[in-house]
Amino acid sequence: MTAIGAKPAAGAQMEPVPMAIGLILTLIIIAAAFVLTGSSMAVALVGIIVGGLLIGFGVHFVPVGGAPAAMGQAPGIATGVAMLAAGAGLAGLFGGAWAAELGFAVAIAGGAIGGGLMMAITCMMVTLIYVYGMGIPCASGKVAKDPISGDTQTEFKSQGTEGHGLPFSSYVGGVIGGILGGAGGTLIYLELLHIYEDKLPVILNAGIPAEVKTVAVSLAGIFAIGMFLVNAVLAAYNITGTTEGPADPKFKRFPRDIVASALASAVCGIVAIMIVL
Amino acid sequence: MTVKVEVKAGGMPHNNIMALGLIGSLVCVYLTYLNQLGNTQVFSFFGALAVVFAIVWGSNAIKVLCSYGIGTGVPSAGMMSLGSGVIAMLLATRYGIAAPIVAVIVAGIIGAILGYIANNVLSMHIPVMIRSITELAIVGALTLMGFAALATGSFTLTPLMSGAAGFSSSFIGASIIAVAFMLGGIAIQHPFNATLGPNWEQDRMLMLAAECVFLSAVMMAIISFAFVGMMAAIISLIVTVVGWVYTYMQFIALSKRDAAAWLDAKPIVEPEVA
Repeated sequence: MTAIGAKPAAGAQMEPVPMAIGLILTLIIIAAAFVLTGSSMAVALVGIIVGGLLIGFGVHFVPVGGAPAAMGQAPGIATGVAMLAAGAGLAGLFGGAWAAELGFAVAIAGGAIGGGLMMAITCMMVTLIYVYGMGIPCASGKVAKDPISGDTQTEFKSQGTEGHGLPFSSYVGGVIGGILGGAGGTLIYLELLHIYEDKLPVILNAGIPAEVKTVAVSLAGIFAIGMFLVNAVLAAYNITGTTEGPADPKFKRFPRDIVASALASAVCGIVAIMIVL
Repeated sequence: MTVKVEVKAGGMPHNNIMALGLIGSLVCVYLTYLNQLGNTQVFSFFGALAVVFAIVWGSNAIKVLCSYGIGTGVPSAGMMSLGSGVIAMLLATRYGIAAPIVAVIVAGIIGAILGYIANNVLSMHIPVMIRSITELAIVGALTLMGFAALATGSFTLTPLMSGAAGFSSSFIGASIIAVAFMLGGIAIQHPFNATLGPNWEQDRMLMLAAECVFLSAVMMAIISFAFVGMMAAIISLIVTVVGWVYTYMQFIALSKRDAAAWLDAKPIVEPEVA
């Protein structure tokens, strides 16, 4: 029995008490950042949290199929969310990091386009392999009609499966998820990069700030990767591994992940900021 | 409430492995500090041994967690481990000689909060969730600290950020840490993912974990030629290669023991065309 094939037990219900605790902890961390480090750091921390929320929310759009999809028994991209996050999200992060010197808005847009483009290419190649390689049509198991294209699904769905291939709404969801994830990762990177470019020359006693720029870029990049993976995996736990994208009933669980991503990003973000204090 | 998928317990209890991994890893990381005391670099190879202890513990922790069926695949736990570990490890490097201890504490705090989020906010309700995520975050931090010590001979922030030819040629400045991140990630994800199933045996999984770490450490030892002296790097390379060959042969022997049958497959011989 593989872990990916086991039926996960996480319920769909909201738990008010842990969610309230999570929100309160997040606010306490932001307040602590404000008191201990000043308003500029607190604003940066809020930016990091917003980036984490974008990543967590974006993962809910991505059609993660897992092992059942690889066997043509469930719709979605046939891999786990850790791989999709590492592929699509980091492609977005690299796109945004490349554009970091061209200004805030351009960099965020670059990250969003990088992530979205990577997911669009992934979804297209996955569909090609499903249709022409495995010989299965794309059919959703969760909805009778595709919410975007209006195509009927049930005639194409094989008996005993939860659907297969990559339905149109899942494709669109994947691209939206890539855009949100890429933008979120880039936002985290930019906030950290500004902090490190300001503070690292003081810590390292470097005469010329330009010398430490590579250190700042590398440090911000690895922190952004770490936070990206943490947020992506938490979102994957929320949807218990597999989803069909925005058409899936599991999509309605996203409020839980908003709290989870906010707290996780706040904790990781304050640690990342503390390294230069 | 979840039901445990794997019925097979067997082998050394997890608490013993945890104690061995934590203490062994910390001791080995601290042994690399002999570099600073003796003004040498030849003790860098202890960094590789620190990672072996950490990931042997980590792969068993992943087994404990993933036997409940977390639904996202085994690699996700490893990714979260390194993702939270790198954040704790980088903060800890600021604290000089106390860095490994601080890394364990900070990673423990981050891991406990992430575990609470996964277990309660996201209502996974897995009994070992908080503990396992905490352990995995500590494993991730110690893994990266071990690799940093192996590559540069040091685990504090200033040497990691300033290389021989300025800041841009350092462990962090040249983003070698990203390579260490992925090498550690591969090593921690693979062992349980490759050996799970009804025929799972603990000693085989742990041997595979050690083998994966040594293989990653060979890469880091090669990278260390750029940071430490020739002698120290050659010692690291020899230790890691010998460790890899030994653990690989042991793993093959254990695989033969557990296999139903072992056929020494040979390449298909192409018939001679006259």
